[in-house]
Amino acid sequence: MSDAVVFYTVTLIVYGVVDVIACLGLSQQFGVAGVTNFGFIIFQAAGAYTASVLSLPSDHANGGFQLYVGGLNLPFPLPWIGAAIVGGLVALPFVFLVGKRLRGDYVAIGLLVAAVMANLIVTNYRSFLNGAAGLSLVPSPLQSRLNPQSLRYQWGYAVVGILLALLTFWFCRRLTESPYGRALRAMRENDLVADSLGKNLRVLRAQMLVVGGAIAGLSGGVLVGFINLWAPSAWGYAETIVLFAAVIIGGAGNHLGAVLGAILVPLGFEEATRFVPAFGPPGLIPAFQWVAIGLLVVIFLRLRPQGILPERRRRLATPAAVSGLTTGDSLASLPLGRRPGPSHGRDRHDDVLEVRGVSREFGGVRAVDDVSFVLKEGHLTGLIGPNGAGKSTTLALLAGTVPVTGGRIVYRGQDITTMPAYQRARHGIIRTFQLASEFKRLTVLENLLSAVPDQPGESFMGAVAGRRHWRAAEKVHLADAAALLERFGLSAQSNAYAGELSGGQRRLVEIMRALMARPDLLLLDEPMAGVHPELAALIGEELLRLCSRGMTIVMVEHELSYMDRFCDPVIVMSEGRVLAEGAMTDLRRRPEVVEAYLVG
Amino acid sequence: MEIFLASFGFGLITAAVLAIAAVGFTLQFGVTDVLNLAFGAVMIAAAYVAYWLNQAGLDIWLGLLVASVAGAALSWLLNTVVYAPFQRRHASPIALVIVALGMTLIIEFGLQAIVGGTSVSYTMASGRTVQAGGLQLTVVQLVIMALAIAVMVCIHVLLTYTRLGKAMRATAANRPLARTCGIRSGRVINLTWLISGALCGCAGTVFAMNAGSFNATSADLFLILILAAVFLGGPGRAYGAMLGAIVIGLATEISAAYVTPSYKDVIAFLLLFVMLAWRPTGVLGAS
Amino acid sequence: MSADSGRASRGGASLVVHKLTDGYDGRPVVHSVDLTVLPGEIVSIVGPNGSGKSSLLKGIMGEVPIHEGRVELDGRDITGFAPEDVVRAGVGYVPQVDDVFPPLTVRENLEMGGYLLPARQVSSRIDEVVAVFPALERLLPRRAGKISGGERKMLAFGRVLMLRPSLFVLDEPTANLAPRVAAQLLDENVRRLSSSGASTLIVEQRARAVLSISDGTFVLTGGRVRMSGTPDELATDPAFVESFLGGQTRASDTGH
Repeated sequence: MSDAVVFYTVTLIVYGVVDVIACLGLSQQFGVAGVTNFGFIIFQAAGAYTASVLSLPSDHANGGFQLYVGGLNLPFPLPWIGAAIVGGLVALPFVFLVGKRLRGDYVAIGLLVAAVMANLIVTNYRSFLNGAAGLSLVPSPLQSRLNPQSLRYQWGYAVVGILLALLTFWFCRRLTESPYGRALRAMRENDLVADSLGKNLRVLRAQMLVVGGAIAGLSGGVLVGFINLWAPSAWGYAETIVLFAAVIIGGAGNHLGAVLGAILVPLGFEEATRFVPAFGPPGLIPAFQWVAIGLLVVIFLRLRPQGILPERRRRLATPAAVSGLTTGDSLASLPLGRRPGPSHGRDRHDDVLEVRGVSREFGGVRAVDDVSFVLKEGHLTGLIGPNGAGKSTTLALLAGTVPVTGGRIVYRGQDITTMPAYQRARHGIIRTFQLASEFKRLTVLENLLSAVPDQPGESFMGAVAGRRHWRAAEKVHLADAAALLERFGLSAQSNAYAGELSGGQRRLVEIMRALMARPDLLLLDEPMAGVHPELAALIGEELLRLCSRGMTIVMVEHELSYMDRFCDPVIVMSEGRVLAEGAMTDLRRRPEVVEAYLVG
Repeated sequence: MEIFLASFGFGLITAAVLAIAAVGFTLQFGVTDVLNLAFGAVMIAAAYVAYWLNQAGLDIWLGLLVASVAGAALSWLLNTVVYAPFQRRHASPIALVIVALGMTLIIEFGLQAIVGGTSVSYTMASGRTVQAGGLQLTVVQLVIMALAIAVMVCIHVLLTYTRLGKAMRATAANRPLARTCGIRSGRVINLTWLISGALCGCAGTVFAMNAGSFNATSADLFLILILAAVFLGGPGRAYGAMLGAIVIGLATEISAAYVTPSYKDVIAFLLLFVMLAWRPTGVLGAS
Repeated sequence: MSADSGRASRGGASLVVHKLTDGYDGRPVVHSVDLTVLPGEIVSIVGPNGSGKSSLLKGIMGEVPIHEGRVELDGRDITGFAPEDVVRAGVGYVPQVDDVFPPLTVRENLEMGGYLLPARQVSSRIDEVVAVFPALERLLPRRAGKISGGERKMLAFGRVLMLRPSLFVLDEPTANLAPRVAAQLLDENVRRLSSSGASTLIVEQRARAVLSISDGTFVLTGGRVRMSGTPDELATDPAFVESFLGGQTRASDTGH
């Protein structure tokens, strides 16, 4: 190979490596966790600037022709490490934007605008990072000891770059293919439901911003060490769109797709145009590049939104041992049940939950108005009432999905009125939703597993620690899930996407998922709607068994026959208030109840 | 005091340009549910239409008229060919934002491929300077303000007194119910793209007039001012956008006079950020 | 002006629903439903939650795709019409929720109801509607989002009355209303609507109350018609009494 070819090849590899690393970061944020970071380029820029000012000598050197902060003259690899750290730290101010339950497109706009503004500020504030001219003469790593112009150095840079890209891939994969990654994908599919299962959305999103930012920062450090200069023109907001284009075209949610996209889009476009004979005025070919990237994004989203390599379905093998379980067995034989509550060792008829004068207003309308009741341990309490009586809102208030506007909620002696939903879930209060709320692009098994509390692999550090750290626990949870599926006759669908099931099956998945969370207090919103009566009866029996083992359950249901069969006591609501409470047989004799609900 | 008055005058003009754009943007979003980030690109495309006609010898004010028509046509086309097919397939809001950004690249750089990277200016007389209440304004600037006021009055009349305007508000508030009133929502949405597109084209041309010179990517920063004005008033609220435009216009220009001109857009960005984080429904909106 | 002066120019229309199957995403919710409303009749549909009552109405209105079957209004096939065309054919529809335009004033809401009228008729028609629902008069300048639930429903009724439809389709008008308001709404306001001579198809959860104003009632469970008849027939039918007047439903009846 001639020297020119080597330099070209190495340049290609380094650019490719930088794009691959950046796209992996974006794939982790956007493809896996659904965080729409349209300011992604800020983090790459932060990394590049950091690596520059850490490796550059003080700005008085070189005759002081450029101004910048820092100039610490640090040896390799500190500038790269610093690049990753600062890339992650820069993400922190944006946490408040993604931590809220803000519309995804609004978040995207906020971050996009932040990218434009960051560029504007750096461009105009010269003494910070030398303004529009940018930084040049950034030292190559180890240039005091090695000759950056030598072929061996060039090849060495390429190899180190490839290793870093592989390391990043390995890291993102480790995060994604773990219980932690499952929680991230659950959040992407439906953040409200993930919240109700005890996932801390704010923390998960913050972690994704920081991790993605650190990866982007690293890519910036690797780039600037090679090209030795960095300026605002290199990181316009539109560069983020190129990276998004790469991830979307490659396949969002599939890290291999991100790698493919990085090679096809940013690298492929840059290089393809080298072979186009120059024509037209200067700037024409880059303009066409941008147009082509725009077209690619729009066409792909229209015709193949899943990308070239779509997110693959995670098939989990279920342990064979549990297949001996027959439908005659009950859940009692399963290692399921409520988690050890704080009331351990007290009387069975303890008050689990006390609702005192709770209200909720929506725009001046009192959906729930001064509601009080007590839930006793081990009871299956029914909640009935006409449409709009406030039943679902009451459940939402108990679960913390919706905050109360008045009153108090006391759970096992602890005031939880202001406790956020995910924390209540972690204390054992688990709810289901009236509308289908399955995680569509998680398999049935993954849906079930996503609810298991205290999984060793569900924390960031647990995922980083690797499969060995969580494999044993996962095996146990898989066995539980498989047994539940067997029990409710959904084994054949274990590895189907939940979004592909029928309405009744989805309902079952939701109930099973709630059970996997080992609730102490289970709040079911119309669990039997759309479920075949035989199956509904089975569900009822199982719920009763769970109650007999100490679980407390509230069930909103319209079908009164189920109330008759399974629920005692039953609470009747009307116009946001509790109208009556008691055994169903008594309620049927009370005229005001019959008037308000049974007959109307 | 002189600095204040001068910057106040600049602020009013920026507010005038901004109001036309922001009302167009917010109408578009409110009625059609598309957060059209290619709005700035369409503005500039229309400004170039006026430029070409102006170069051919047409008076710039007639050029402005044609640019408005071009803005309407381009916006309608953008929806019909791109956004509407995505909406019919129930694309997520975030997918639409990505598509809109893709369209921004296509329009801006497609335009740049045609017109090149250099900036151009209209051939026009800026007219003599007029003293008004301590403010020094050129005739062109006064005309721009008058135009903005006229446009705001027209929009007010449209939304409050006309059948179409009420149908637009009804469609924005509840599309299925509007259809059960016999309102052909498809037609209302097409008309909304035309009207908001005309505002977009008009805004693009007055923006170019006011800026003095412009090129294919000039509206990138202005889009941020538009977004800030829209979110300040609450997305989808025409009167909120008018109010937001005045606040943002004055805030940016006055801060430019007292802090430094290079950062005048930063205040808009900060306001936008605060609104997104604190109250995305706008200062007047419900929480 | 008496309520009668709001009499529909077209009189009551007949509605024939023949073997209608509809639902979302290709999944049927309503299965092969047959139902007839004769001119001037009030016909009610009752049934438990999730039995497909709303989906049936939405199928008729063109808001839910029809898989099979036919809908005829006065002999004219309106199957698969878009909602705006069903309205043009003479149907006034009050959905269960989101039945007004909250940011618009009450007057503007009524104007939207009269969207299809020639402009010069709108204000006289508003006067007529206000004569039918006098309580609306003082509310005219207020925003629809700021009035009470009962007033809102009345406004929704007034809005559909603007076009003097030949058939009213009402989806659970008493949902979210206090019992006394609900009773009044059914007793007075639904009667006022139908006093215009138009036919009415009404879905209700309050079985007994709606029975008292109906000429005929259909019972829907699991997306199918299980029973139908006049109020007198149903009130003496043991199966109906059992399911709706306080008895038990047999689980096997709820279908799948």
